[in-house]
Amino acid sequence: MSDNPLLALSRAMADAVEMIGKSLVMVNGRPRQPATGIAYEADLVLTADHVLEREDKLTVQTYDGRVLNAQIVGRDASTDLAVLRVSGLSVPVVGPAAQARVGQLALAVARPSPEGVMASLGVVSKVGGPLRAGRGTSLERYIQTDAVPYPGFSGGALVDASGAPFGLFTTGFGRGLAIAIPMALALQVAQTLTRQGYVKRGYLGIISQQVKLPPAQRSGGQESGLLVVRVEENSPAERGGMLIGDILLAVEEQPIRDADDLIAALSGDRVGKPVTVRIIRGGVLQTLTVVVGQKP
Amino acid sequence: MVLASAIDTTQALAGAVERAKASVVQVRVGRGGVGTGIIWPASRAAGQSSLILTNAHVVIFAGDVDIVTADGRIFSAALLASDGMLDLALLGVNAALPAAEVGDSQRLRVGELAFAIGNPWGQANVVTAGVISGLGRLPQSMRNLPYIRTDVRLAPGNSGGPLLNASGQVIGINAMILGGDLGIAIPSHIADAWLAERLGRAPAR
Repeated sequence: MSDNPLLALSRAMADAVEMIGKSLVMVNGRPRQPATGIAYEADLVLTADHVLEREDKLTVQTYDGRVLNAQIVGRDASTDLAVLRVSGLSVPVVGPAAQARVGQLALAVARPSPEGVMASLGVVSKVGGPLRAGRGTSLERYIQTDAVPYPGFSGGALVDASGAPFGLFTTGFGRGLAIAIPMALALQVAQTLTRQGYVKRGYLGIISQQVKLPPAQRSGGQESGLLVVRVEENSPAERGGMLIGDILLAVEEQPIRDADDLIAALSGDRVGKPVTVRIIRGGVLQTLTVVVGQKP
Repeated sequence: MVLASAIDTTQALAGAVERAKASVVQVRVGRGGVGTGIIWPASRAAGQSSLILTNAHVVIFAGDVDIVTADGRIFSAALLASDGMLDLALLGVNAALPAAEVGDSQRLRVGELAFAIGNPWGQANVVTAGVISGLGRLPQSMRNLPYIRTDVRLAPGNSGGPLLNASGQVIGINAMILGGDLGIAIPSHIADAWLAERLGRAPAR
């Protein structure tokens, strides 16, 4: 039988789908098309935040047909992740994560209907990051695939040919992108969500746009900064003395060349702490101290 | 399990395509309409004729139907039977043509390899590959019949052509495309049972 390597590959893929399929639940959290979730710990399911259009009357359906109530433990729109608690879930939880390499075979596997598991085949198209997709969504790392994302595939798993998960599959970052949130990153967010229900994200309260720095004020190869065009009332930035017209150059000596740099500088562990903010005001370098707020 | 090299695996796919291709025909109707057909295994006692399965929507209301074999021979075909609900049609050709090997579509698994040979947009003998994406059932009003979902890329012209497994056996008849990217195929055992009923013999499987 093993003289046909194609048959061996075919069986391996079907085995992979069968194995991961037991850890996948159908998630009923929106009016029409159900989505998918991944059981990663006893009673805990990881899913995509955008498929939860309501916060109550959530149910999941397991591979063996049981319909169970689910409660939201925490959700984070910016990484499109949410954690559900399901009492009596009792399904196999996902095994160890696989490291994604571009070109590897990848199967998108999901449970979008009570008819059972669904799968599509592709490859790992790209491993990259960070990904900023507007509306505050942001992923440090992501895996892109050409496997077809059928309706209800969000919250499913992108797995390798042995069924080990590369990550949680989602189309929540728009632009027709089918991506997976790497398992390690997803589990890290899940841990934060189970601990405190939300993910801390720093916040200054300014609206800014990227500007080129005058040659005289470039240092260390930094050619751009952020021009403050609005300071919100009672925001951390206002309390710290930032003004419209300031050009933001650095936070805690990390250069701020664009909005991505600022998002990276305002990580959750800086919430509530004072940081030094270097600016140009009226052509003069100044340093302010701003206490980073929690993003509302 | 002994791990085969990627080259061996792709060579095996090429081999399976090569073997299956001989039993796939182009179905030409009217002025320029093209579908695909499968030379179905059947007893040839009655005058060396061959049976070809295709979709009903390819040939009904078509008038004259010709088939073109993989080696380029053209035959005129007679419409022997059709079923609009199953979207199946049976054609007869007066020639001994190589029949396809039919697999067991009652034991399909989601994730197993699948490929199609057909004439998408009228282009001859195009091969596309993917997996069995799902196994569904039609509503009660359509007798709860099972059907196959696949991510194998299909287009108009693939209709009536084979969905094949890793051994190159026919497991389904490609019938339609949903939402632009989901292929729907009729399981081969459903097609074979229909054909058996028409011919008054026991199904091959």
